[in-house]
Amino acid sequence: MKKETIWYLDRRDFLKFAVGAVAGIHCSPMPWWLANDIALWTQNWSWRPSPQKGPVSFINSTCKLCPGACGIKVRLVGNLPVKIEGNPLHPINQGGICPLGAAGLQFLYSPSRIKSPLKRTGERGEGIWQEISWDEAIAELVEKLRDLRTNGNSHTVACIDGQRHGTMSRLWERFLKAYGSPNHIYTPSVEDTYDFTLTLMQGEGNGVGFDLENTRYILSFGCSLIEGWGAPTRMMRAYGAWRGEKLGNRTKIVQVDNRSSITVGKSDEWIPAFPGTEGALALGIAHVIIDEELYDSNFVKNYTYGFDKFKSLVLKEYSPQVVSEKTQVPKDTIIRVAREFATTKPSIALWGRGKGSRPSGFYESMAIHSLNALVGNINRPGGVLIPKGLPLTSWPDVEMDDIGTQGYYMPRVDQSKDLRFPFVAHRLQNMAANIQEETFYPINMLLVYEANPFFSIPDNLSFIQATKKIPFIVSFSSYMDETAMQSDLILPNHTYLERWDDAFTPLGLQYPVLSITRPVIKPIFNTQHTGDIILSVARELGGPVARSLQWHSFKDVLKQNTQGLFHYGKGIVPEAEPKEPWKGLSKESPSLPFASSDEMWNRMVEKGCWYDPAYSFGKWNRIFTTPTKKFEFFVTKLTTLLPKARDEVFLPHYEPITLEGDYPLLLMTYELITLVNDGIGNPPFMTKILDDTLLKKNDVFVEINPKTAKQYGLGEGDYAEIQSIKGKVRVRVHLFEGAMPGIVNIPLGLGHTAYDEYLKGKGVNPNEIISVVKEPVSDLALGWGTGIKLVKV
Amino acid sequence: MKEVHKNGVKWGMVIDLDKCTGCGACSVACQAENNISFRKDETDRLRRISWLEIYQISNHLPYPHTRVIHMPRPCMHCDHHTPCVSVCPASATKTGADGVVSQVYPRCFGCRYCMAACPYHARYFNWWDPTWPKGMEKYLNPDVSPRMRGVVEKCSFCYHRYHRAKNKAFMEGRRELREGEYIPACVEACPSKAMTFGNLNDPHSEVARLAKSPFAFRLLEKLGSEPKVYYICTQDWVRKQADNYLEEERLRHE
Repeated sequence: MKKETIWYLDRRDFLKFAVGAVAGIHCSPMPWWLANDIALWTQNWSWRPSPQKGPVSFINSTCKLCPGACGIKVRLVGNLPVKIEGNPLHPINQGGICPLGAAGLQFLYSPSRIKSPLKRTGERGEGIWQEISWDEAIAELVEKLRDLRTNGNSHTVACIDGQRHGTMSRLWERFLKAYGSPNHIYTPSVEDTYDFTLTLMQGEGNGVGFDLENTRYILSFGCSLIEGWGAPTRMMRAYGAWRGEKLGNRTKIVQVDNRSSITVGKSDEWIPAFPGTEGALALGIAHVIIDEELYDSNFVKNYTYGFDKFKSLVLKEYSPQVVSEKTQVPKDTIIRVAREFATTKPSIALWGRGKGSRPSGFYESMAIHSLNALVGNINRPGGVLIPKGLPLTSWPDVEMDDIGTQGYYMPRVDQSKDLRFPFVAHRLQNMAANIQEETFYPINMLLVYEANPFFSIPDNLSFIQATKKIPFIVSFSSYMDETAMQSDLILPNHTYLERWDDAFTPLGLQYPVLSITRPVIKPIFNTQHTGDIILSVARELGGPVARSLQWHSFKDVLKQNTQGLFHYGKGIVPEAEPKEPWKGLSKESPSLPFASSDEMWNRMVEKGCWYDPAYSFGKWNRIFTTPTKKFEFFVTKLTTLLPKARDEVFLPHYEPITLEGDYPLLLMTYELITLVNDGIGNPPFMTKILDDTLLKKNDVFVEINPKTAKQYGLGEGDYAEIQSIKGKVRVRVHLFEGAMPGIVNIPLGLGHTAYDEYLKGKGVNPNEIISVVKEPVSDLALGWGTGIKLVKV
Repeated sequence: MKEVHKNGVKWGMVIDLDKCTGCGACSVACQAENNISFRKDETDRLRRISWLEIYQISNHLPYPHTRVIHMPRPCMHCDHHTPCVSVCPASATKTGADGVVSQVYPRCFGCRYCMAACPYHARYFNWWDPTWPKGMEKYLNPDVSPRMRGVVEKCSFCYHRYHRAKNKAFMEGRRELREGEYIPACVEACPSKAMTFGNLNDPHSEVARLAKSPFAFRLLEKLGSEPKVYYICTQDWVRKQADNYLEEERLRHE
């Protein structure tokens, strides 16, 4: 039999084949097809957004997300806004923008937007709403307002206003006055502190300016200078300018703070003082300045009153040794800083903790501002200035009938005109207490505009509890926030990108600015401008209310403001980028080039603002309007009020703050520029960039010094419960060397129970466990810290 | 690779950490400009997408000497043996003639080799389909294509803004861009003017001047990848951390 040849594969053949195949495949286009196919296969996307294309245009407007009043430039593609940038023409931010401003479009399209007027049908806070028409909503509001007014209860209407610096607040004030209610209450802010400090020591408290760009030495008592204090973007721009100077010539920043914050990290020196003792530290510094005769004797002699009394008090009670024991600041540091502060010219002392969302203590503010007077840095370049007011068109007097007059001159429900201490203009905390304890008259209607007090004020739960006694709460919020959740009727406002609005000079700026906000897109939901609602409610109410508010629309109100500026005749509506407007403040601004106020209005809308970068130095009678026409170390206005008090009461001194209850640790809240903690919710873009030592999944981290943590057996990432007199919250622990031993630091702005899935339920809201302390004499509600116990869980 | 843009433009950035306030405006502006998606929980650093990351660095000294600062970190656009470019099997990333390291999404098949190679963690993978809350997709920027699940993405120095600037210059009859005409969104947003962008090859440009500062440094210079992002800081402890070693590495190097 012929042997058959069996086809078989030996090792060599296999290798030949394999090599051949590899070579062959690579000569073919197959690998590239495969790579392409893999790419296609991995890029399955069921839904693909295709952004609309179109011509690009820009609209200048003003950001209303904080009172900083930055100019913005909104980029549109077709008719849709796609990006918010800084307006380079605007003097405050000069083209820069903060993270919040840059995230603005996430507010416009936020899932929390309220899409139409809503009427509550379920229990309060249950979130069951019925959509109603605008006519129905306004009719309901008008009916309730009319009933209250007819029955002589107009004063039982209160309005909480979170805006302050704009024509809207002027309009609210006017409406409430004509209607007959004194209760137009602003949300707490450090501005109240500045107002009463200046009212008492300098005579008038209508705005303060800090000439920071021109100063050489900054002594900041807890101000988060670059984290949202004052006008945030202006502060960051100023910081960039200081650091842009040559080495050795840079403005020195000394930061007094209880934790190593971002501002501390960027300052030249950190002075950790125990929280609440800042006033004592300032007096210790004053002691050295007076003792070593480093003060400006010319200024002190000619422009101050009560220096001798102040001198003897400070020399007697506040030697560096004594202050060092109170504040935990080394004696040598106090002496050195005092010498630097007094000899570096110009230097400035600043106060207002964090971003300034809570008032600072009264004597603390007085003590710190005294330092400015000692070195003579008031009404001088690089010092504390009183900026010119905005020359707006003045409105005719409000027409008042009997009911209106009677209501308007009732005492305020927050007791802010209380004779015991009538210098604090707004005391929201008192309102809650008075409603709860029924000490005053009841509040029958609460109107909430651009504020979220149910979340943002210290001890918010007590506040919410008190408001249960208010039968009718109306929210004008654009978003379903905590306050809107608890209201009975929601009349949603346009967002700042859909409405006409304006912003006045922000806190701390040296010169007046009026910025215009204009719609960049048609309202995307069934919302209405609250200003227009006020005007139509006034029309419906009729009588003196209607006659006091005769404007056709809110835009007309804004337009009318321009007439005042036009007649004032000076200032700049920017055509080119401003070149460091803080230089040459002593020069007068150019005249306005417009033929009519309409022309000026059109140009302001186009460019975004009007400003007047001028300041008249000297003119001391404008700066000091106290009874003595001087800066008063010894406050004469208080002497008439408290005739029997000892001298110390009228002088800056240190008043220790006693916290409620006996607790081993102190909880301090802190604020971040990347975390909004007032009227609005944090946008997703900003929540994304939070440090992972701050938020992990839904847990918030508190900062504790490793030594303190060790005492409690706590390690990095451990869960713990914080217990205070008000309640408890669950947190995780982050060991942080930059925390003062014995103090637990917790960020403000998390712990929302409202808003959308991008924010709700993340972290805890420290306001819930903060007990508010009343400062003696001023009766000011302080809520920056509280005594706590820490338990490992 | 260096020869490519020897006589032409070489885009680069200088970040002055003395001026930087760590506010994060650059990062937010970047997210808004480049259609970067976001999710309900963004606390996982290994999964979240943020082209311009804000790093927190500390001097780790005990109280009261502790200092913490923040530092923005875009893509470094490495100039020499660009680590991601040398490993990409799909030719999805290239160093352009102007020095910008590009990323072509339709070519990327998501092997993530480049992410492993990048010493700066500047590259991000799309683990999920990006989605936006209803209606929010209306703010997306048509100049930048949204990415899909399964691809890697990273900072492009806002290259689409370069295209826009070039088109504008062309329409005005110019071949060269003026300084500052093309800047990425982060540089434009910076409120303290800490970021500068421009042509590193132009000796008269601001970036070229700043990059020569005695306080200028780059991250991980020891690797020799020649990043085109420079930092300036007068504080020694910050500069020292730029070429940081891990504990076990330190032993080998010292």
